[in-house]
Amino acid sequence: MKISKKIIKNLKMGGVNFYLSVPCKLLANMIKILEKDKDIFYSSVPREEEGMGICAGAYLGNKFPCILMQNTGIGNSVNAIVSLLQLYNIPIVFLISYRGTPGEPVGAQGGMAKITKDILQTLKIPTLHCSSIHDLDKIKIYTDHAKIIESPIAILCDFDLMKEDHE
Amino acid sequence: MNRFKLLKTIQADLKDRLVICNIGLPSQELYKIKDQTNYFYMLGSMGLASSIGLGLALSQKKDVISIDGDGSVLMNMNTLATIGNRAPNNYTLLILDNESYGSTGDQNSFTGEKTSLKEVAIGCGCKKVIECDATETSDNLRNAIKDKKNSYIIISKIKPGNVNVKPIPLNPITIRDRFRKFLGLVSYL
Repeated sequence: MKISKKIIKNLKMGGVNFYLSVPCKLLANMIKILEKDKDIFYSSVPREEEGMGICAGAYLGNKFPCILMQNTGIGNSVNAIVSLLQLYNIPIVFLISYRGTPGEPVGAQGGMAKITKDILQTLKIPTLHCSSIHDLDKIKIYTDHAKIIESPIAILCDFDLMKEDHE
Repeated sequence: MNRFKLLKTIQADLKDRLVICNIGLPSQELYKIKDQTNYFYMLGSMGLASSIGLGLALSQKKDVISIDGDGSVLMNMNTLATIGNRAPNNYTLLILDNESYGSTGDQNSFTGEKTSLKEVAIGCGCKKVIECDATETSDNLRNAIKDKKNSYIIISKIKPGNVNVKPIPLNPITIRDRFRKFLGLVSYL
């Protein structure tokens, strides 16, 4: 729980106040925390691309949104990222469980894992890759960056880091 | 009545509302009738007008109307479940159902065959779902906005057909910022 608590604390410190998620077992603790938090808005959504739309609307209404998802969700959302979030310069945080990285027991997750960083790079999305608990200290710098450059930013959380949180 | 004529009949209902308008001809026709700063024209991301409006309605108190099409709702049908479970009372989704993909050359959509968006929306948990003729749309929209206790989905059955319009000349950041200025969030315009 320690890692999930730290991630949420840092996101909130960065002003993030509107959260959506498409579930992942590595995000389960974070979702539990968000469901109980009365200071922010939280909801699950069925699909990531739709979440990008809801987050864009939330930004128009003066919220600072975040969507929690697996890295597979980036694949589901490429057009929405480019032709909505980036076209209209909408700041948003992608909090991504990086399935398929070392420690992952499901082999089939490896395919998206191999291309996740390349997709983010192609999309030119500033990315914080978190492998250890100390990397989480940089979250606020990245959320501030999203607001300043009016852009999506991504926070990738390795399987091994998140697994530690669920033991 | 086609989309252009229908959009003309609801001009008074859209006044001072936060309007999220679907990509392509719906936005271009709305722009041609009369451009307003409280209109957010979508220039990309087909399917997401309903979702953008939902996020906006959840984030502030003013009334929000998403103007969507049958093809776009079919593309992002999962969001009807989110609307059924989470839509606040200031949210109205107006689906202009012409049973075709108007912006891409009037190809037939499934709402002209076996699919009923009304039944889908009800199945998704949406309580106030109205399917109506084009001529009843303005009255239904006005009543939906007036009702402060419920969100609505209005499916307006219209005829296919488009008018000759040009792409919207506005820069996306201009659309964004004048819309946010209407909400009191931008001071520099």
